[in-house]
Amino acid sequence: MSLVRQDGESRVNLLRRFTRRPGRTAAEATALVVAAVVAFPLYWMVLSAFKPAGEIESSEPRPWTLAPTLDSFRRVFGQQDFGRYFLNSVVVAVAVVIASAFIAFLAATAVTRFRFRLRTTLLIMFLVAQMVPVEALTIPLFFVIRDLGQLNTLWSLILPHIAFSLPFAIWMLRGFVKGVPEALEEAAYMDGASRARFLWQILFPLVLPGLVATSVFSFISAWNDFLFAKSFIISDISRSTLPMALLVFYKPDDPDWGGVMAASTVMTIPVLIFFVLVQRRLVSGLGGAVKD
Amino acid sequence: MLGGLLAYPIYQLGLISVFHYTQAQVSGGEPTTFEGFGNYAELFGDGQFWEVLLATVVFAAACVVSTLAVGCALAVLLTRVRAVPRLALMLAALGAWATPAITGSTVWLFLFDADFGPVNRVLGLGDHSWTYGRFSAFFLVLLEVVWCSFPFVMVTVYAGIRAVPAEVLEAAALDGASQWRIWRSVLAPMLRPILVVVTIQSVIWDFKVFTQIYVMTGGGGIAGQNLVLNVYAYQKAFASSQYSLGAAIGVVMLLILLAVTLVYLRLLRRQGEEL
Amino acid sequence: MKLSIRMVAVAAVLATAACAPQTSGTSSSDKDEKTGTLRVWLFQEVNNTPKEQVVDSVLAEFEKEHEGAEVTVEYIPVETRAQRIKAAFNDPGSAPDLIEYGNTDTAGYVKDGGLADVTEDFRAWGEAEDTDPTARQSVTVGGRVYGVPYFVGVRALYYRTDVFEELGLDVPKTQAELISTAKRIRAAKPELYGLAVGGAYTYGAMPFIWAHGGELATGKGGSYAAAIDSAAARKGIEAYTSLFGDDNCPAAKCAAMTGNDTITAFAAGKAAMAIGGDFSHAAVEAGTVKGAYAVVPLPGVKTGSIAPAFAGGNNLGVLKSTTHRTLAVDLMKRLASKEAQGELFEAMGFLPTFSDVRQQVAAKEAFVKPFVETLAADTKFVPASPAWAQIDAGQVLPTMFQEVVSGKKDVDSAAADAAKKMNDAFRSVG
Repeated sequence: MSLVRQDGESRVNLLRRFTRRPGRTAAEATALVVAAVVAFPLYWMVLSAFKPAGEIESSEPRPWTLAPTLDSFRRVFGQQDFGRYFLNSVVVAVAVVIASAFIAFLAATAVTRFRFRLRTTLLIMFLVAQMVPVEALTIPLFFVIRDLGQLNTLWSLILPHIAFSLPFAIWMLRGFVKGVPEALEEAAYMDGASRARFLWQILFPLVLPGLVATSVFSFISAWNDFLFAKSFIISDISRSTLPMALLVFYKPDDPDWGGVMAASTVMTIPVLIFFVLVQRRLVSGLGGAVKD
Repeated sequence: MLGGLLAYPIYQLGLISVFHYTQAQVSGGEPTTFEGFGNYAELFGDGQFWEVLLATVVFAAACVVSTLAVGCALAVLLTRVRAVPRLALMLAALGAWATPAITGSTVWLFLFDADFGPVNRVLGLGDHSWTYGRFSAFFLVLLEVVWCSFPFVMVTVYAGIRAVPAEVLEAAALDGASQWRIWRSVLAPMLRPILVVVTIQSVIWDFKVFTQIYVMTGGGGIAGQNLVLNVYAYQKAFASSQYSLGAAIGVVMLLILLAVTLVYLRLLRRQGEEL
Repeated sequence: MKLSIRMVAVAAVLATAACAPQTSGTSSSDKDEKTGTLRVWLFQEVNNTPKEQVVDSVLAEFEKEHEGAEVTVEYIPVETRAQRIKAAFNDPGSAPDLIEYGNTDTAGYVKDGGLADVTEDFRAWGEAEDTDPTARQSVTVGGRVYGVPYFVGVRALYYRTDVFEELGLDVPKTQAELISTAKRIRAAKPELYGLAVGGAYTYGAMPFIWAHGGELATGKGGSYAAAIDSAAARKGIEAYTSLFGDDNCPAAKCAAMTGNDTITAFAAGKAAMAIGGDFSHAAVEAGTVKGAYAVVPLPGVKTGSIAPAFAGGNNLGVLKSTTHRTLAVDLMKRLASKEAQGELFEAMGFLPTFSDVRQQVAAKEAFVKPFVETLAADTKFVPASPAWAQIDAGQVLPTMFQEVVSGKKDVDSAAADAAKKMNDAFRSVG
């Protein structure tokens, strides 16, 4: 017999007991040191964004600046249509996250719960498109999108990104769906739950941590993409996305590093906000409420 | 839709690789001609290709192992700390993950610059150049690759651990098992499906690493000593729009990665792990 | 196993090659409408507003002149130009009528079938005769003209006046003096590079090859042959690579440097001399050496001569697919006119492509004088062959320099290998 606990409370307690062991101070110190090391390049990026132009690469590499300036940020925000690019990026990333999470959840359930011929082949086929250099696929994709009449629209970014983030999302969620005991499903049906109810009210919460992790993945890959944005948004610059505002600063002979760092800082912040918004779901996942 | 956006381009890729197909053909300036395996012959006849292939395999393997080790270790660490250090580490990692690869590579290069970088100052290395030697350049790129890709592993594995029933962990902890033992005999087997995905994804990405090498070693290092397959493909083919040669390289990469994946899955199956 | 059967099936389809990969239809257009919207792509500069103002004033005049014609300008990041312009060739529906493009891309775009032949229009254009010869060469492929030069960029020798004064040195008059001066500075001040050089700095190295009478490649009209392994060119390679070493610019650091790296070193006070462009001026001014440097043309082999420099820059061109050919050509001429180029210089500091306009602006702005002198002396251009894109992308020349300075190969064999790769590329484009 299996049972579903509606609250995550007891799991939190159990975990707390698990973690309250000697050595936690050492673990926390390690975590903070690692965090500092990992964050240092980020700090340097933000710092460079605030440094005046001549100081970014100077023979006195100080970890601070005495003359912080907003000039680099002004060059970023001063770009024609910057707000527009930002909005486009948000639309693309959010659409990709929602669509790929939804489709991947259903597809992962299907490939886990139902056995059919060629299942493994299908799963591997999903990955094949990722195994070749993306540049090699842009020309064929270009023709597909042109034939769909979607060049220069945001769909030309949303559709390929969904296609490219789905394989990972499906694979990943499979692991989570598999972790849910089949007995639980049977019990739910015995209690008279419909298939839809089981999917959305029981299974969905259980795989939520996995969904969060895959969402972060698809958000970042859609958010940071350069190649599709420069290949499929050709004539309508008002459909461009944020990375295009960053590329302006990479001039072959005369790159503007201050602008690069400022634009990258501006690009990274929304991802962190997105993560802070979803991380609670990751941390307090309900997976532990299942028992055989 | 999926088929159209994933399968059809792959089919076209195979087709392109047996034609003479450059920008002039794409835009209709010149007719397409059938080449058979000419593009493949050109590729296999190039001694540099085999050298680059070997370097790519070794470098990718080092990246995958390091990334997985760091990512898994930190995921376990995350479960053992309270909210504040956990959030700090997660945000730092997310920042590293979210930074555009092109910027991350530039910043790492700044940090390790022989003349202007703070790292040499702190370590007292004078004006030691990290990018001159073949191995030290690869090592520096490896650090950057691990920096920007361990967060993916960490977050995914952490999510996996959260889905493991707490009772199991608790039982193990009560038995007085060490952290390593818990990982080895409790977590790892339960996380197997997730680890498989993460490993395969890492193999695919690290085999295809491009931006880091391109930016940090100035397009392949001193006299091309740090070339990897994707950068080689770019320089040989894509930068000058020789799509057919690029497609041939793509097909070769596809076959190698497919083989690696199939062998890996077969090994797992032999261990009794069902897909 | 199912998979392998599938692979065989795919392979079978490929082998029969029943259908060819997709292509676009030929993109040339017969229409020549005199009204409607004209689309223009220009490069987006980091500080773009002054450029927009110059362009807008040209557009205002153009629209006044042509009733019913309208112009929309989009500013695209330089880094995205390759994909966008190729995409424009592939999809005439999205293509602009007029584009700005880097002048080393001319031959490639012509081969792709993207640029319209404007030879007759260029000949009939009064102002064209003052266009300097190298700029004209940069729009010419196989004797036909495919655009008009928009501005040029050229490199000269930046040096530290304070260091030269302190050590009692004279500004070098020949290339031999340049090299010996660089080494004297390094000996006296080991914390400085004498002359900052880069193994990946192709455009900084080319003047050394040209000054010794060497060429990258010889030939005309599409069929080129590599000349990088000729005796004269090898002398130039020898001279340039002799600057890498502990007595000037240590190979461990300088082998990987690009042009921009050498300017960064100079701007930060790490180098006594560097080869930089007119476009590097702002970066140097922002550095610690502001007020303590001067610029002279890069000396040649003979006393008082100037080494031939690479004339970079951008062109404007009309796309073959345009449905407004007459209007587009007219707008192109207006944007690149003497007056507009003069204004563009004042707004952005881009050097005009007309010799006479250049003289005028040099009189007004002292810092451009050495660059204008360099342009007046002798400039050269890369081979006008689509193979150049391949040679450039394949890093053939940087590899050659790096092989020499890292001691992997001697000059003769490195040059021979580079020549072979170049010839392969020339052959592959026919």
